[in-house]
Amino acid sequence: MKNFFVLLKVSIRSMLLSSTNSRGRSKKKAATGLGAVFLIAFLGLYLSGIYSYLLMKALAPSNMEVLVFIFMGMVALVGGLLFTTFAVKGVVFGGKDNDLLLSMPVPTTVLMTSRVTAIYLENLLFSVFVLVPAGVICTFLTQSGVGHSLLFWIRLGIVVLSLPLLDTALSVLLGALVAFVSARLSRGALGQNLVMGIFMAAVFYFSFHLSDMISGLAQNVAGVKASLTWAAPVLWMGEGIMGDWGMLLAFVLCCVFPFALMVMGLGRVYRQAVTAFAAQSVQSNYRLSAQTASGQKKALLKKEMKRFFGTPMYFWNAGMGLIMLLAAGAAALIMRDKLLAYVEMAGYSMPLLPMAAAVIGFCLCTCPIAAPSISLEGKYLWILRESPMEESSLIWVKVGFQLLLTLPSTVIAGICFSVAFGFPLWQGAVLLMATLLFAVGQASFGMLMGLCFPKLDAVNETVVIKQSMATVLSMFASIAILWAAAGLYYWGSSITWWMALALPIGFFALFAVVCIVILLRQGPSLLKRL
Amino acid sequence: MLYIEHYSKIYPGGKKAVDDLTLHVGPGQIYGFIGHNGAGKTTTLRAVAGVMDFTEGTITIDGHDIKKEPVAAKRVTAFLPDNPDLYEFMKGIEYLNFIADLYGISAKQRTADIGKYSGGFELTDNLGSPIGGYSHGMRQKLALISAFIRRPRLLILDEPFVGLDPSAAHVMKGYLSELCQSGAAVFFSTHVLEVAEKLCDQIAIIKNGKLVRSGSTAELVGDSSLEDVFLELEGEG
Repeated sequence: MKNFFVLLKVSIRSMLLSSTNSRGRSKKKAATGLGAVFLIAFLGLYLSGIYSYLLMKALAPSNMEVLVFIFMGMVALVGGLLFTTFAVKGVVFGGKDNDLLLSMPVPTTVLMTSRVTAIYLENLLFSVFVLVPAGVICTFLTQSGVGHSLLFWIRLGIVVLSLPLLDTALSVLLGALVAFVSARLSRGALGQNLVMGIFMAAVFYFSFHLSDMISGLAQNVAGVKASLTWAAPVLWMGEGIMGDWGMLLAFVLCCVFPFALMVMGLGRVYRQAVTAFAAQSVQSNYRLSAQTASGQKKALLKKEMKRFFGTPMYFWNAGMGLIMLLAAGAAALIMRDKLLAYVEMAGYSMPLLPMAAAVIGFCLCTCPIAAPSISLEGKYLWILRESPMEESSLIWVKVGFQLLLTLPSTVIAGICFSVAFGFPLWQGAVLLMATLLFAVGQASFGMLMGLCFPKLDAVNETVVIKQSMATVLSMFASIAILWAAAGLYYWGSSITWWMALALPIGFFALFAVVCIVILLRQGPSLLKRL
Repeated sequence: MLYIEHYSKIYPGGKKAVDDLTLHVGPGQIYGFIGHNGAGKTTTLRAVAGVMDFTEGTITIDGHDIKKEPVAAKRVTAFLPDNPDLYEFMKGIEYLNFIADLYGISAKQRTADIGKYSGGFELTDNLGSPIGGYSHGMRQKLALISAFIRRPRLLILDEPFVGLDPSAAHVMKGYLSELCQSGAAVFFSTHVLEVAEKLCDQIAIIKNGKLVRSGSTAELVGDSSLEDVFLELEGEG
C-alpha cells in the first residue's frame, strides 16, 4: 500500500507541477502551480453554477429537480471523458518513466492502479465542479425541500465519488484504443487523429442532442425525462440523489463494476500493453534520392507544422478552436434562417456584429498553439540552441505558425458570418479588422506566456499541452481581454455608435502592439535564459 | 581554431563548476578533454557550443566570440551532447534535412554527404523511419551524421563513443581523422582513456572545475599510460 501512495504521489506531482516554472523549486513557485489548478476549479464551479441555476429555476416549480442532476451528470461524464481521454495515453501508457518504474520491485498492478487513480482524481475534480454547485443551488431553490437534509448530501457525495469511476473506466479504454492504433499503424498520428476525430464528433453530437433536450424542457418536461431511458445509469443517478436508495445502489454498481473490471483486466496485461504501445518498428527499405534545400525559417516552420499535425494530443487540444471557428462559419451559412429566427425569438438586444466578433474571439482563445510550443521543445532545445540562428527567429516562427493557421480561419469565419447575417461591406471589414487584431495579439501573448512559464522537463506532452501554466494563462487571459473589449463596446455604445466599434478595435490593436513590443524586447533574452 | 580564455562558470546557488580555464585547440587537432564525473567537462563543452551561458572569460571559435557573434560562431561548429535527444516526430531523413536547412547546406552537397555518412554508419536503409523507433545507437549515429554533413570547422563531442558498436566507433574515428586532415578541429570529452590516448594529439585533464594538466599526448603520457597519469592526478589532493 505504501508503494501505491508513493507512485500516486509521483503521478499527481507530475500533473500538478506541470503548471509551474521549470526552474521553480521554491514553495512560492509550487504555489503558482496550484494557483493554476484553483483558477480552473473556480471557472468550472462558476460555469456549472450558472447552468445549474438556470435549469433549477425553470424546473424546481414543477418538482423536476431530478432533471438538473441528470443533465449535470451527463455534462460531468462527457466533460470528464473529453478531459481525461487525451491524458490517458501519456499518463497511463506512455510515461517517460516507464522503464524506470517497471524495473522497480513493485507489482505492475500497483503501478497501473496508481496511474489510473491519478486519472480518477482528475475526473473527480470535474465531477465536484459540476455536481456540487448543482447540489448547492438545489438546496436554495428547491420547493420540495429535497436539498435540505443531510442524507441528500450523503447521496450526492456518493454520486460525486462514483461517477468518476465510470468516467475513468471509459477514458482508459478509449485511451488504450488510441495508444494501440498509434503503435500499430505505420502512420500512427493519422490513425490516432482519426480515432480522436470520431470521438470528438460523437461528443459534439451528444452535446447538440443535450442542448436540444434542454431547449425542449420548456414544452415537455415529463416527455424529456421519459425519453432518457437510453441513459439509464444517469437516470438512476438522478433518482438516487433525489432519495431512491435502490436506484443509487444500481448507479454505484454501474460505476464500480466497469472500473473494477478494467483495473483487474489491465492489471494482468499492463506490462504487455505498455511494451506493445511503445513499440515502433523501424523499416529498412529507404532509398536515398536527391534531396531539396529550403531556407532556415521555412525549415523551422515545417518542423512546427510536423509537430502540430503529427502530435494528436497537440492537434486536438490546441486546434479545436480552429475546427470550431470553421464549423461556426459554415453553420452560420447553412443554418442562417434558423439562427436569425432563434436570435429574434430569444429577443437579444445585442447587435449581431459584436456577437459574431465574440464567437470568433472565443474560438481563437481556445487555440493555444504558440503557448506550449517552447515547453514542447523540452529536451530538444539543444538542437535549436546550437544552430546558427537568432533567438528571435525561433520566437517569430512559432508565433507565425499560429497565425498561419488562425488568420485564414478567422478570415473565412468572418466572411461566412458577414454573408450569413447580411452585414454591409464596412461592417464585414470592421469584423475582420477586430478579430484579426485579436488573433495577432493572442498569438503573441501566448508566446510570451510560453517564455515566461516554460516547462521543459515535463514527463509527457499531455501535461505541457493541457495543464501548463502557459496554456492556462494564454486561454483565460485572452478570454478576459475579450470581456474587457465587450465592456468597452457597451461603454462606447452609450456615447456614439462609432465609438462602440472604435474602442474594442483600438483595445485589440493596443493588446497586439504591447505583446509584440514586449516579445521583441524581452523574448530573445527570456529564451536565452531557459 | 578554438580559444578558451579564463573561462569560469558559476551555477545559480554559487557552485563554481569551472574555474579560470584556458586552453587552445589548433586547426587539424583532435583534442581530448578528460576528467571525473562532475569535473566540468560537459559544462565547458556546452558553453563552447553556445548552448549555455557562462560567467567569466571568452570563448572564440574561428575568430568569432561565442557571446558577441554567436550565429557566426555556431555556423562553423557542430555539437553532439552525451545523450542526443532528436525530434521523435521526424523521420531520420527529415531530421537531416532540417539540420541541413538550418545550416544553409545546398541540395547537391547534402545529398552527397548524407549518402556518404549514412552509408558509412549503415543507416541509409532506416532513414525513412520515424526517429521515435530508433535504438540509442541509431540515434547516436544519426546525430553524428547530422554533425558531419555540416562540414564543421570545429566539432564538439561529449562522450561520442557511448552507445556506438565497435564498427561504428571505428568508422567514426576514421571520419574524425578525415575532418582534421581538412583543417578542422575536434574537441571531445571521453571516459575511454585508451581511445583518447590513441586518437588525440592533445589532451587536457580537468579536476573539480580546474585544469590540472594539458599538452600533447606524447608529452603528457611519456613512458606511462594515460590511465596511470589520470589516476595519479586524481589521487593528488
